[in-house]
Amino acid sequence: MIAPIWLDVLDETARLSAAHGRTDLVESVQQKRTQLLDPRLRVVVVGEPKQGKSQLINGLLNAPACPVGDELTTVLPTIVTHADTPTVTLVHTPPVRNRHGGAIAEADRTALPVDQVAAAVGGKLGGHPGAAHVEIGLPRALLGSGIVLIDTPGLDVLDPAQLDALTAFARADIVLVASDVNSELSPSEISTIGHLAQSHARVVLVLTKIDMSPRWRDVTEQSRRRLAAIGVRPAVIPVSADLRLRAAGSNDSTVNAESGFPTLLARLNTDRAAKTDELARAAVGQLTRTVIEQLAAPLRTEPPEAEPAPAPGPISRLHEAQRTVDELRRCSVRWQHTLNDEMADLLSDLEYDLRDRTRKILRKVDEVFDKADPLSDWHTFAQWLDENLLEADEANHGWMLQRFDVIGRRVAEHFLAYGYPDDTAPRWSPTSRDHLTENVPLMEQPHVERFTYAQKFFTGLRGSYGGILIFGLATSLAGMPLINPVSLGAGALFGGKTVLDESRALLKRRQATVKAASQRHVDDFFLLVSKDCRDMVRQLQRLLRDHYTALTEQLQQQIVESLRRAKLAADADVAERDQQMRQLAVLQEQARRLAATPTGTTAGTRA
Amino acid sequence: MSRSTRTLDDAVRQLMQEAWNLSREDGRAAAQLDHLYGRLQEPVHLAVVGPARSGKSTVVNGLIGDQIAPLPLGDGHDVVTRYADGPQPRVTARTADGAARELATTRSAHGLRMDPRTTRRSAITELRVTWPARSLRHINLVDTPGTDADDGHHAPVEHVTGEADAILYASQEIRTTDLQTLQTAQHGAVATAAPVNTVIVLTHADEIGGGRIDALLTARQLARRHQRDPAIAAMCTGVVAYGGLVALAGRTLSDADFTAVAAIAAAPRETQDACLMSADRFAGDDGPLPVDPDVRRRLLHRLGIHGVRLATTLARTGCATRAELAAELIRRSGLAELREVINGCFVERRTILKARTALAGLERLAGRLPGQDGVHLRARVEQLLATAHDFRELRLLAAMRSGQVAFTGDAGTEAHRLLGGNGTDAAVRLGAEHELSGGELWDLTADALHRWQQHAEDPRLGLHQRRAATAVVRSCEGMLVALGDG
Ligand SMILES: Nc1nc2c(ncn2[C@@H]2O[C@H](COP(=O)(O)OP(=O)(O)OP(=O)(O)O)[C@@H](O)[C@H]2O)c(=O)[nH]1
Ligand SMILES: Nc1nc2c(ncn2[C@@H]2O[C@H](COP(=O)(O)OP(=O)(O)OP(=O)(O)O)[C@@H](O)[C@H]2O)c(=O)[nH]1
Ligand SMILES: [Mg+2]
Ligand SMILES: [Mg+2]
Repeated sequence: MIAPIWLDVLDETARLSAAHGRTDLVESVQQKRTQLLDPRLRVVVVGEPKQGKSQLINGLLNAPACPVGDELTTVLPTIVTHADTPTVTLVHTPPVRNRHGGAIAEADRTALPVDQVAAAVGGKLGGHPGAAHVEIGLPRALLGSGIVLIDTPGLDVLDPAQLDALTAFARADIVLVASDVNSELSPSEISTIGHLAQSHARVVLVLTKIDMSPRWRDVTEQSRRRLAAIGVRPAVIPVSADLRLRAAGSNDSTVNAESGFPTLLARLNTDRAAKTDELARAAVGQLTRTVIEQLAAPLRTEPPEAEPAPAPGPISRLHEAQRTVDELRRCSVRWQHTLNDEMADLLSDLEYDLRDRTRKILRKVDEVFDKADPLSDWHTFAQWLDENLLEADEANHGWMLQRFDVIGRRVAEHFLAYGYPDDTAPRWSPTSRDHLTENVPLMEQPHVERFTYAQKFFTGLRGSYGGILIFGLATSLAGMPLINPVSLGAGALFGGKTVLDESRALLKRRQATVKAASQRHVDDFFLLVSKDCRDMVRQLQRLLRDHYTALTEQLQQQIVESLRRAKLAADADVAERDQQMRQLAVLQEQARRLAATPTGTTAGTRA
Repeated sequence: MSRSTRTLDDAVRQLMQEAWNLSREDGRAAAQLDHLYGRLQEPVHLAVVGPARSGKSTVVNGLIGDQIAPLPLGDGHDVVTRYADGPQPRVTARTADGAARELATTRSAHGLRMDPRTTRRSAITELRVTWPARSLRHINLVDTPGTDADDGHHAPVEHVTGEADAILYASQEIRTTDLQTLQTAQHGAVATAAPVNTVIVLTHADEIGGGRIDALLTARQLARRHQRDPAIAAMCTGVVAYGGLVALAGRTLSDADFTAVAAIAAAPRETQDACLMSADRFAGDDGPLPVDPDVRRRLLHRLGIHGVRLATTLARTGCATRAELAAELIRRSGLAELREVINGCFVERRTILKARTALAGLERLAGRLPGQDGVHLRARVEQLLATAHDFRELRLLAAMRSGQVAFTGDAGTEAHRLLGGNGTDAAVRLGAEHELSGGELWDLTADALHRWQQHAEDPRLGLHQRRAATAVVRSCEGMLVALGDG
């Protein structure tokens, strides 16, 4: 089958729109396709109120099809098509079209008696709320030749949205803008024509009621000029429906020529003949241009990042990854600080704690040996000291372990944001502390002087000797011999006292020795334990540090990986966009060539 | 002047005195007050506004009865132009700095023309024309450039409507945009308390229905229909259809014009029909009509194709003299009706319109006065607006027009009349069809008073209706007092 080349371009446009996920555009392209394949020419008449739109249609048909007059305003759009006998149909809901242009919901249609057309079009027909438009069927040659005429209600303010809705409803191939020649083009009419010319290949300005105006030639010229000033050059055709209908009544061809309608009809007929070729090409070119414009717009500008995009684009993902890397870097500095600070604190706290405990023990030792004799209580004392020291060490160690837990958790907190719960800190399995008990030597009994009996005897003898001598000499004066009972008694007394004094001094010395020895022992113990403690803390610090360094590295790797992937995706996206832009450019070129190709050479073969 | 309007006038003057005392030190305020006071003495200022090219200047010309407007400046632009009665035709130009100078003028077929060299590139903001015309004795007309002029030469039309006493809104048809324009013109306490001083003129009435012979008749029906539309009635006191070209032609019809029309009317019917089919045919160089093409073209220019059709038909069917034809054209054009409406709505209500303008001016002034003075003055303005019965009548009439308050049957019409909707003269209010003596008027008024007292106490009526009835009673009382005085 020979298919026109514009169909290829149109299908390509639809394919690209689909590729871009623009179902709305696909739909409008499909609609255009159906419309362009329909050989009938759809002509819509728009304009401000009372510009003679309805009468223009009557003039074209040479018959009073549409109600006209000052009491009769067009309220419902009216589609005039060919029919063998006159019919009037009120259509309620416009059919909902599915993707392939077929109607899903059939419109609700009510056939009306022909004489009710005025009421129907004027929206004055009772009992039909929500009527959407009216269809009139007439047996006219013009309609039979494949022209569909669509009358519309006048638009007070020619609002672009309303206008688009109207022309979309009409699926118009040609838009006739009716304007009363008796009043010059209003600014809103000019902007309307400009707007329509952007979306329609054929826009014609029809200046109506020229029979009433002696100045219509001037106004026509002026209208052309004012439109050209905004860069629009539509065909401007001045007509008079009044003269046309009069000519029909009297069969007067001069009047008919004066009415300007032959020109307008000739124009419509050419366009109808050219519909599937030149007109279609122009229409497709225009549609493709607008579609390309719409497809290219989002490609040119990445949506601003602040917008809550449901699926972030690759570029924004890339930015996101970069941000995460920075953040991780900051996090790694932070957790190291935390660990170091906490460990230093822990160390000083532990040392203080240990010192405090041992000091308490020493104070106790002092108290005890102020009274007790190390000779008699040594055994119990040694045992007590050992126990107390071990207990202190135990408590200190336990506290350390607790603090460890806390520190581990505190460091882990930095990684919460990365999805690592704070109990992932490495478990500390305490190494056996037996070495400690082994290494702490049992306190040796210090060497203490004992007071032996021999010593006692000699000491007593030494003391008694003095007593005998003194009292002996004193009593010798009384003529007594040196050794006499008195001196002997005094000697015994003196000897006993000396022994007692000597034994007391010895006890004091023993106590001092033991105290000093305990002090030494405790110091040794402290040194040993604190060294062990410090080792352990350092070990732990290393453990935590290694763990979290590894974790950080792993995280960093992940992020860098995702960064790399984001970058790749972004690059791919840019590439894809370039590709899409290129495709659009190709299509654009096709559309341009389509519009430029001379008639007759556009038929190509299609499978 | 009735007693109540006299009271209103006095009250306004007194308020002005108060404002004067408040703002004596402020030079600008004093000048403003001076201006306001001066305006109180002048005729009603009637501003003609509307979309571009809607026929505003033609309305002005029709009312004055001469082809004067528009007076374009040397660069082709129109400015606000004021027309007042005066012994000599005279045009004075005013510039933004307040300077005024007289301009030399010549008459042309298209109206008064100034020497373009004297007005080019001059900062003229306003023209004042004095013209000897009876119609200008009670009103001053203000012609304005179109409101939707898109050429960047925005004349301060809002300013003009703001300080005019009344407005003629000239438009070819009434669209929603027109109503919006009218709506936005109503702002400020005064505008809400004393609503609508606007009459809508449907111009180009002769083009209705494609310029058929019954166009003006159709247009009149259309105007009446519009007037019954509450959305439109809320914005204006009346809608008048007006065939500007026909009216002006009627007022300026010369003997030569009449001779030409009569000659065409005397031609065979078929020739006439064929030649009047379109403007082109009528103005064509060669045609079977027994009138010179130039004359025909002039006729067409002045009357429009519908005017020509109408005039020839009238000449054929009985208007045998120039005067008869002119009178008939004026009657049919709607000019007579327009004059009547202007008289009833504006000239007769001169005092209240003037008071309204003065109060609006005082309201603006209050906005400028500092501190407590401004507040005080504003409060006094609002008090006067709320208490003066004349304004209450206006508000009630507006409410009845827009359908907010409605009486069933004849009561509605009577209330409208008694409130002064048709005119404020006692006889008009009472609907007297012929001359009545003072005693008869008194009796009629007493009857009406009694009736409306009953309405005011009628438990079947709604609150709004009873309030409205009370206002009508108050109007009747006012009439009785005036009749007693007179
Ligand atoms: N047929 C017909 N033409 C009219 C009527 N009134 C005015 N015109 C024409 O309409 C045109 C504009 O009339 P103006 O009166 O100048 O209108 P305007 O509103 O003052 O115009 P601007 O001041 O330019 O906004 C002129 O060509 C008039 O001849 C009318 O009632 N009937
Ligand atoms: N003389 C003359 N009158 C015309 C011509 N075309 C329309 N009219 C008159 O202009 C008036 C309005 O015409 P319509 O066709 O109803 O205008 P419309 O634009 O359809 O009006 P709405 O549907 O109300 O917007 C009618 O009275 C027509 O008779 C014309 O070519 N010549
Ligand atoms: Mg219509
Ligand atoms: Mg003007």
